[in-house]
Amino acid sequence: MLQDKLLIWKFNRGNKDALRYIYEKYKDDLVTLAAALLTDVSSAEDVVHDVFVSFIESRSRFRLTGSLKGYLATCVANNARNKNKAGRRQQTAALDNRNIPASARTGLPLRKQGSGSQCPDVAAMFGEELRRLSWSLAELPYEQREVLLLHIYSGMRFRAIARSQAVSINTVQGRYRYALDKLRSMLDGEAKNETSR
Amino acid sequence: MRPADNIHNQIKKLQLKASADLDKRVHDEISQALAHSEKIEPAHAELTAWRTIMKSRMTKWAAAAAVIIIAVIVGINHFIGPVNVTSVALADVLERIEQAQAFMYKMRVTTSVGMFTGKPAETIEIEMDYTITISNEYGMKWETETTDHNTGKTMTQIMYIRPGQKAAIMIMPEMKKYMQMEFDDDLVARTKKQNNDPREMIKQIMGCQYTELGRSVIDGKEVEGFHTTDPAMFAGMGENIKYTLWVDAKSWLPVRCEMDFKMGEQMQASSVIYDYQWDIPVAASDFEPTIPEDYTPLSSEAIRMPSMSEEAAIEGLKFFVELSGQYPKKLDMLNLAMEFAELKKKELAELKKGEASKDAGRKSKGEPNQVELEKVIKETMETMQPIQSLSLFYMSLVQGKKEPVYYGESVGPNDADKVLLRWKVSEGQYRVVFGDLTTVDITAEKLAEIEELQPK
Repeated sequence: MLQDKLLIWKFNRGNKDALRYIYEKYKDDLVTLAAALLTDVSSAEDVVHDVFVSFIESRSRFRLTGSLKGYLATCVANNARNKNKAGRRQQTAALDNRNIPASARTGLPLRKQGSGSQCPDVAAMFGEELRRLSWSLAELPYEQREVLLLHIYSGMRFRAIARSQAVSINTVQGRYRYALDKLRSMLDGEAKNETSR
Repeated sequence: MRPADNIHNQIKKLQLKASADLDKRVHDEISQALAHSEKIEPAHAELTAWRTIMKSRMTKWAAAAAVIIIAVIVGINHFIGPVNVTSVALADVLERIEQAQAFMYKMRVTTSVGMFTGKPAETIEIEMDYTITISNEYGMKWETETTDHNTGKTMTQIMYIRPGQKAAIMIMPEMKKYMQMEFDDDLVARTKKQNNDPREMIKQIMGCQYTELGRSVIDGKEVEGFHTTDPAMFAGMGENIKYTLWVDAKSWLPVRCEMDFKMGEQMQASSVIYDYQWDIPVAASDFEPTIPEDYTPLSSEAIRMPSMSEEAAIEGLKFFVELSGQYPKKLDMLNLAMEFAELKKKELAELKKGEASKDAGRKSKGEPNQVELEKVIKETMETMQPIQSLSLFYMSLVQGKKEPVYYGESVGPNDADKVLLRWKVSEGQYRVVFGDLTTVDITAEKLAEIEELQPK
């Protein structure tokens, strides 16, 4: 977007108002993306905060080569992935040699672990209308969820996602297909269960 | 429909609001990190054309840029450059009107702008009626009524220019909006000195080659005419310029002024200034804007008039390179606007393609709504701001007869040894901006050596 290029041009020159405008323009989308990735609003806001702190520090050398929204979404995804990995390491250590519940494989923070029905917070984040979707998203393996959200929610192309994740485009497309299939299956299953009740 | 059928749309609907706590944390970080940042340089949104532009269809948004040019020429042209006072007769006219402490006059500008749609026959016609009151003591007030003949719509704008406060306020009653504009020190100085009034028109014509037309009669008054076709009258921005000033043969005060010029193939403008009233009584309250409570600001921050300094021009060049990867081919406002229009068209085409591939059914068909259109126009005008500085600086060089030469068609950002722009600073001395945007003052001989090697 030409407007984003103007904002970056001003941002490179240390313009505070341009930076504030960038934050205001993209904050909600970024918090949403991070929350959908981490299934936790508080962690999501920490991620967005950290992304903006790094972004501010880069002001004199930052060069925009693609879309600003895509760039910030990638930063949020990278940061969320790191947070997710750190959470998994902590869980592993805490659980010691005990059995790890299946939901831990999703890499969610411990207090958010489990299926949607066991974790009302996940659904509460996005409201009743999207309850089923929120639960199903939370059940996807992290890597698949990330690809799905970056592509559909943040509008990133598979090639750009592959670059940001340092994997092949085939891997990204595969994760996307698996994620969609699982999501469809979970949502249809959920609907059938509700109908049969 | 099964829930699974609608996954894309549902995911797009996910929406959280950032908390007040996050807002505070990030804004605090920004404040701390950029405590000594420069002030923002937001858009110079030329409001005369605002409503007309918004009524245009999105696919014709590019007309906006061209319409802005008219206003820039009409409104800012007069802020430019000193002139040599050489004419005895016109010097007498100038002396007479400088004695007036307050005066008013009317101006009608008719503009025909060709659309950038590949259909040359498609044009919009805009008529602007100004009533301008100027007081040496209190400032200046412009009341403008703009009519788009294609839609029949009209709008009113009232602008108060207060050089003493380095600010101007534009009120748009139909929109219930207002906009504050700041002038930088350079422009304040020019405004104080020149004030966009008939005195400047006289000075400008005196700085041009002109002919005396002799006597004629206008509205029963015997008048004396002065005429110029010198491109310097509009800072070299227009072609086929015709400018005629008629002054009362008895009082030596202006009675009527007629202008006619063309810009590129797209635009033809003509204007007439008439109904001059000299030494009228005015009060401070006439120049104090009253903004009704239900009016809201068009922009959250004060708009700054674009600077026309060398530094701002170089920043404008840098910005254009960031947008397009190359320098603009030409520096006059119309060509710059057209080049910018091409960039915007490409961007819109990309966006359209992206949206179509992602979610063909989601987007609404047909014309954009008013809010969407306002957003596009506002963004466009903001993005144009650094580019306007570039063009205004070039205008000032042309008007100042500093022999500017620009090589944007053949010199790129990597051509560190080639002249991109140069102009005369004094006899035998030239200022040069190279392709890598470094600057240097050199002699005419040295410049000739470098230019000899320039790509033709």
